[in-house]
Amino acid sequence: MKIKAIFLKPYAKYIWIILMLVAWEVTAKLAPVSPLAFPSLELILAALIDSVINGDILMQMAFSLGLILIGLGIGVVLAFLMSFLSVVSPVFASFTDTCVSIFHPLPGIALLPLIILWIGTGSMAILFVIVHSVLWPMILNMTAGFKAIPEVYKKIGMNYEFNTLQSIIRIFVPASLSFLIAGLKISWARGWRAAISAEMIFGASGGIGGIGWYIFNKRVFMDTAGVYAGILMIIAVGIFVEDVVFGKLEKNTIKKWGVA
Amino acid sequence: MKKYIIILWLMVLVLTAGCAKTETAGGQKTIRIAEQYGIAYAPVQIMKAQGLLEKNCPGIVISWEQMNNTAAIREAMVADRLDAGFMAIPPFLIGWDNGMDWKIATGLSSVPTGLVTKTSVNSLAELGEKDRIAVPQPGSVQHILLAMACDRDFGNPQKLDNQLVTLSHPDGMNALLSGGDVTAHFTATPYLEKELATPGFHQILSGNEAFGGEFSFIVGVTTKKLHDQNPEVYAAFNQSVGEAITFINDHPQEAAGILSEAYDLPEAEVLAYLTAADTEYSQTVKGIQTFSDFMLKTGYLKKSLENPGTIIWEQTDYED
Repeated sequence: MKIKAIFLKPYAKYIWIILMLVAWEVTAKLAPVSPLAFPSLELILAALIDSVINGDILMQMAFSLGLILIGLGIGVVLAFLMSFLSVVSPVFASFTDTCVSIFHPLPGIALLPLIILWIGTGSMAILFVIVHSVLWPMILNMTAGFKAIPEVYKKIGMNYEFNTLQSIIRIFVPASLSFLIAGLKISWARGWRAAISAEMIFGASGGIGGIGWYIFNKRVFMDTAGVYAGILMIIAVGIFVEDVVFGKLEKNTIKKWGVA
Repeated sequence: MKKYIIILWLMVLVLTAGCAKTETAGGQKTIRIAEQYGIAYAPVQIMKAQGLLEKNCPGIVISWEQMNNTAAIREAMVADRLDAGFMAIPPFLIGWDNGMDWKIATGLSSVPTGLVTKTSVNSLAELGEKDRIAVPQPGSVQHILLAMACDRDFGNPQKLDNQLVTLSHPDGMNALLSGGDVTAHFTATPYLEKELATPGFHQILSGNEAFGGEFSFIVGVTTKKLHDQNPEVYAAFNQSVGEAITFINDHPQEAAGILSEAYDLPEAEVLAYLTAADTEYSQTVKGIQTFSDFMLKTGYLKKSLENPGTIIWEQTDYED
């Protein structure tokens, strides 16, 4: 029973991670695997430290994160506009529905050959892929959130004689915040993946490139430990955003308000 | 508890299922070859179409694996899913440098390569900071050739590295011709000819100028495992590549017929590529020492190549 109690704690994730690392090291050390395919933890760590000190990995990470922040920003604003217009106008709602059903299942990477022709290969193209992967899941969540707002809340807004802008800020957003945060989480994960995939295809289009480019570069020069180092960085950022950024956001809003 | 055991067992099953692979057990006549498309790989296609391996090694089981990227071929060889593949010399050297157990078995081809730009750019020096140069990937032969030219012209092999864009040949051609931010493309036959046939584009550097002589564009590489454990198959592989090359050189018309079907290109066009002055199919490996010296000097390699004989199998011809 005691063991079970440990795994119910919030830090259970880290126990599993340690167990996985141990399993990794044992496999790398004892199993007959090529270090080119399965480097030991020391090699990976050494590659990571080397990239931090001598390389651009931190700058590249910041570059990727910056692109995603911009992409998320654009995506969220666009999604908000489209979702709100859909709530107000049934005609626009059918247009948004059509767009979502066309574009939501379309991976940004599948559009890459076209994007190269339309906007070239620079950061703008990567941004386009990010916005594409952020926008549609965000719209789905936002419209669902807006639709789920109880009628009585909107009536309260009318009672207070809110204008449209006021009712958006005071009624629509807080009442659907759990949907918005869920949408943001999905969009972040989608955007993060899209950005890294796009970087792995375009490379450092002028400048140092992002973390996807780092991994691609390590791959073509057969630095397997470096590839794993890049993947570790991506995992670390993913966990950080999930646990710290979104954790804080939820704690201070929907959990505090008791709407989650 | 029982539930957990079942879950664990399922996980093990799923994980190990991915490890199933076609083994090359010693004695069994099996070979797994990476198949790639393009004029530079023409002898591979001829070898396949004419069944040369089957003829030279009766009873052989060949599995042709579709691959489109040198890095994937290297990774497949590390994972023991591939015995032989074809690639340029620099990616081979990178694998050797990182401890891969493989050597060059044969030369395959030299084809026209070059840097194509808009006609407004007349030399490497005129490529500004805003210009983007498409190459298949860093560490590819195109990238190394560009670095060689930059080293000679400016004393700085990395001069243009921050302006590279990684694009496959067809994507690179589209990006160049669409007139976007990509203003130069280091490519090879047949994309090179297609770009040069488009008004507004010209070649400012050829591969041979960059290299300072002739070199093998594509070579055939096999793992030590194939060479040591399956000498009969290895010999048949080498012999078949040789016969395919001889066939192309002696009967270009017939070869073009076979290839035009495989590549879905007009026969006359394929024939023009096969017989172009700069296109040569030969088993002699050219240029390893020059590539390796340059890549060592510029830090792309850590190991120094003392003697080309250590990275090619015995009986393979080479010159430098």
